[in-house]
Amino acid sequence: MRWQYCWKTALVLVVQLAVVGAASEQFDEDLTIRPLRDGKLSARFSFSSLLKDARPRDPQQLSNDDEAQHYALFPLALGQILREYAVTELHLSLNAGKWNYDAWGYPDEPGIGTGAELWVWMGESMPASVDLRWQGLRNALAGLFCASLGHLDEQRTTAPALTFQPEGSLPNFTYPHQLRHATLPSEHVCTENLTPFLKLLPCKSLSGIASLLNPHRLFDADWHGLGVHVRYQEAVGVEVRLTFQGVFDPVRYSNERRRDWSLHSVFDRSIERACPVARSSKIRVELPPGSSPYSITPDPSAINDGVATYVVDASEEALDVAMRWPMEDTFEYPNTSEAPPLTEVSVRRNLKGTNQAEAQLTLVVTNNLPVQVTAGYLETMPWLLQFHLHTFHAHVNGVARDDLVSILSYTPPVPHSRPALLQAVLTLPPSSTLHLTMDVVKPFLRYTEHQPDAQRGWDLPPAVLVPFAFGKGQNSTVAASHGRRPRRIYTPIMLVDLATPDFSMPYNVIIMSCTLIALIFGSVFNLLTRKFVVVRVSSAPAAPAEAAAEQRQR
Amino acid sequence: MDGPDVTFSALVAARLLVAYAPLPEALKHDHQLSSPLTSYSRLREGIYLFDHGIDPYSGGSFRHSPLLLSLFSTVLPLTPYTSPILWTAADAVAAWALVRIWRLRTGAKATSRDGQVAAIYLLNPYIFLPSLALSSSSIENALALLSLMFACRGRASASLLTLACLVHLSLPSVLLLLPTLLLIITRPVSRLALPRPFGADLKRTLPLLAEFVGYGVLLTAASTLVCGNWDWAEKTWGASLTLPDLTPNPGLWWYFFTEMFDHFRPFFLMVFSVHLLIYVVPICIKFQHDILYAAFILIGVLALFKPYPTLSDPGLFLSMFSLFPEIYPYLRHPIVTALIHLHASLLLPLFNSLWLRQGTGNANFFYASTLVFGVGNGAALLDAIWAGLRIAIGKVEDGYEVVQE
Repeated sequence: MRWQYCWKTALVLVVQLAVVGAASEQFDEDLTIRPLRDGKLSARFSFSSLLKDARPRDPQQLSNDDEAQHYALFPLALGQILREYAVTELHLSLNAGKWNYDAWGYPDEPGIGTGAELWVWMGESMPASVDLRWQGLRNALAGLFCASLGHLDEQRTTAPALTFQPEGSLPNFTYPHQLRHATLPSEHVCTENLTPFLKLLPCKSLSGIASLLNPHRLFDADWHGLGVHVRYQEAVGVEVRLTFQGVFDPVRYSNERRRDWSLHSVFDRSIERACPVARSSKIRVELPPGSSPYSITPDPSAINDGVATYVVDASEEALDVAMRWPMEDTFEYPNTSEAPPLTEVSVRRNLKGTNQAEAQLTLVVTNNLPVQVTAGYLETMPWLLQFHLHTFHAHVNGVARDDLVSILSYTPPVPHSRPALLQAVLTLPPSSTLHLTMDVVKPFLRYTEHQPDAQRGWDLPPAVLVPFAFGKGQNSTVAASHGRRPRRIYTPIMLVDLATPDFSMPYNVIIMSCTLIALIFGSVFNLLTRKFVVVRVSSAPAAPAEAAAEQRQR
Repeated sequence: MDGPDVTFSALVAARLLVAYAPLPEALKHDHQLSSPLTSYSRLREGIYLFDHGIDPYSGGSFRHSPLLLSLFSTVLPLTPYTSPILWTAADAVAAWALVRIWRLRTGAKATSRDGQVAAIYLLNPYIFLPSLALSSSSIENALALLSLMFACRGRASASLLTLACLVHLSLPSVLLLLPTLLLIITRPVSRLALPRPFGADLKRTLPLLAEFVGYGVLLTAASTLVCGNWDWAEKTWGASLTLPDLTPNPGLWWYFFTEMFDHFRPFFLMVFSVHLLIYVVPICIKFQHDILYAAFILIGVLALFKPYPTLSDPGLFLSMFSLFPEIYPYLRHPIVTALIHLHASLLLPLFNSLWLRQGTGNANFFYASTLVFGVGNGAALLDAIWAGLRIAIGKVEDGYEVVQE
């Protein structure tokens, strides 16, 4: 009895300590659920830890000892990496699947490029250069998240600063900040990435919203991805936001092919208890527009602007939000040709041609608005595909309109070392489709450079389109003027089929080529060095000496 | 206008007509006809980047000389209408130089074979097709023949300047430096049948060598001025030494270095480069009585062992056979050699297409055909060397045979 009492006291003490320690830290979690018009369900988990009044480490202080790091809620493993490499802003996303912008609209988290994407802003200063710290950072993150981020090497690293502007603020160090961006489209996200991700949360997946993160269901989703976002905000502090985003298919889970969903049916779990250290813990459900009647249970804490909000508190009862469409027997998929796309711009990117030496890259951009749209276009292409920029042409309705494309910057690729970076601005006429074509060359790789499954081909990173101005001249509205930054649209990734050598042949090739060279070399020097003689080839052959004597007589 | 001139004009006109005919676009990308160092689309890309203020040498795909870059971006803009004229002109100049060399060799003002010599150059498919593909190797061939022609005429400065341009465009052509120097101080008449020790004073080559180096420095300085930095040297000359681009070609290097183990790569690159140089001195010593023939043999060596050959390199070698009709009776196995060449020239495009376009063959198919092509070129080279030496013995009586001791 006494011992039990002691335990309880100790536990209370620890919680008290944690709360005291957390005074300079705060943790918020929320889940946003959005039923989509094609019956799917978008869910976005966001866990944000704020380190109040903290500043990113000054890279000039890297040679000095760092201050001690005592965190109660802020993830220590990540915090140590951020301080070790003096990172100001960091965005890492690991995604799988193809985001359908037309039917799902813009995602809650913009970074949805398939595979791994990492971009950071770091101060450029001595003693350690940005590139050196970038290398260390990606290796450290690779270790932390069990992902092949070490492959984001200089062959994939670019600095497309126009598209990837900092989301927080940059501290006013006396030197400029630099961007490093790299993508690895062939990287897959799976449980081994989620486990270290959950370990960074103060309540792990034991309580609160995070308890819904059930790997069996998350990685069964049509689209899923996790993200880590670190930013610094002036006068607020350093914020780490861990996100998980998924597009689930309740119609597939239901036996009756209905789109009804509940937390339990989607995640196979419900929220049993709240996370005690979370300052706020909310579930937001966007209520579907349209006429079909629905019901939502239990009653939300608040409803405003078509969003139902639930507060997860320390109530005894398990929370299981559910939405039903009682009038529907089975879900009828909407006709995609009638439903207008949900984004201003739709984009398709393809690689044409079956040849293993050349191909044609095509980009089809459709402007869905009745006004002119101006969009930034970014390609960060590894040297596995080499652009021929002089063949870059634009067509609208079959009419050449090269004036609609202006290339802002182009960095040609260097084989075996550097990717290409193409930044352009596209002017999209109202309600029309712009076709861009460009000839590309497929290089030939050394046999040691091919991946283990060489015949599968290479994944190429997504292109990014940023519509930033709508309308023409005086009437134009710039997206940023609405108080929100321009949103990125990622194209799906591509697969390029490169010619392969025969992997079983290195010795044979060395032997056969060398034999031919030696044969010709030997024969040439044989001809050049040996003396020509005339010999008698009659029935009684003459001795060579005699023949030579004979020749001298002639 | 006499006979040969009419033939020549007719050939060039026909050649120009074909150049304007609608040809498959695939020809321009064909790996046999243009290498990464001579490809027309890469040249266009480099000019585009240069015109848009991007240093084309900062990337890895443009490997043409800065001289071509500045020439085509300012004086002679490349358009679908001008390019065929320029490339036909290069071929015409090369054929004219070949005819002039032939006339200088025979010592006659005009011969009955002039038209034939021009036709052998202009109608040679190995020359004709790369030129239709607008491969800059046609320009290199024209420079090589011009340099030899000026050397035969004893026009030292003109010869050395064209040779410096050639070496600037294609580094391995430096093999032709020694024979060109020796050719300037001797006469190009045929002495194959009557060998004699080298007559001229070798010391006379030293000022010529200095002049060549001077031109080389001048061109290098001009290139650096055009680009504003030294990156071009690594991208153009460095490519011949380090083989960064492994695009297939009819030569022996590309597959060897595709399959090479990484830690042996520098060693074999050194071996392959030095191997080319080994031939220069022995061949010049052996054919000291007829230096033009030594130059011919070295062009054959280049065609065979160059890092980025196109079909026009063996084409130049084969067309130059027309300068030496005296050796024809002494060729060792002309029929076998011709058949191997025929075989290889059918296999090369077929296997390239099977591997890269149809997808029904693999890289070994094309590699095997380049090996056959190498055997064919090697056989032609050996035939030429044998015949050039064998001719000195002349006809032998029945019951006797010429062998090597």
